[in-house]
Amino acid sequence: MEEQQITVELPRFGSCSYTPSEVIEFPWGLPGFATLRHWLPLNLDSHPTFVWLQSLDDPEVALPAVDPWMVFENYDPKLPAYAFTSLEIREAGDFATLCVVVVTPNAAEMTVNLMAPVLINLRTRKARQIMLDGSTYSAREPLPRKSGAEASASSKSA
Amino acid sequence: MLVLSRKINQSIMIGDDVRIVIVAVDRDQVKLGIEAPRAVPVHRSEVYEEIRRANQEALGAAPATSGKAEKATLRPRK
Repeated sequence: MEEQQITVELPRFGSCSYTPSEVIEFPWGLPGFATLRHWLPLNLDSHPTFVWLQSLDDPEVALPAVDPWMVFENYDPKLPAYAFTSLEIREAGDFATLCVVVVTPNAAEMTVNLMAPVLINLRTRKARQIMLDGSTYSAREPLPRKSGAEASASSKSA
Repeated sequence: MLVLSRKINQSIMIGDDVRIVIVAVDRDQVKLGIEAPRAVPVHRSEVYEEIRRANQEALGAAPATSGKAEKATLRPRK
């Protein structure tokens, strides 16, 4: 199956080619970016932990995100019914979860939005940011400090 | 903005499938009951506003990057 390759110039990542089937559609937009519906998930070799959600409707917009279980093993979001209904998710294998990362000034601290995970239906490539209203999860949960190499590397460079 | 007066136990329909009932009123607090289809999200506005701010801040504070970006492979939770 030959799929059409599309090439875009991205301010942050330079030239990037993708096919339509790699695009993630947010039919309801994201809070704060309601009109941006088409996004591409990108990885950088240098920071494999992060997935960048790159907007294709506004190339200036790219949001860093992480797989929440890579940093919070016990994360246990109680997803509301509308998440499954609107995204046509039937079972756990149908979807991926990403949480948006906010870096405080000077990269002093990273926080993860555990209150509003992004769910992506891997079959339809449709996605939605789900708000866990009434949950105790924070929209700015500090990333646990790594005790090992990462922490000492950042303190040396400071 | 449309403004309607309602008494306790009276309700408002929004479209054909969303009903908002005035359940109780106590001084400056109103308790609302909301009946909506399962596919319709219902949140307090503050929650939406907080997520909107967090998303915009994530963009403003995104760290500088260098190197070549590859398409990320997304997987379900293991």
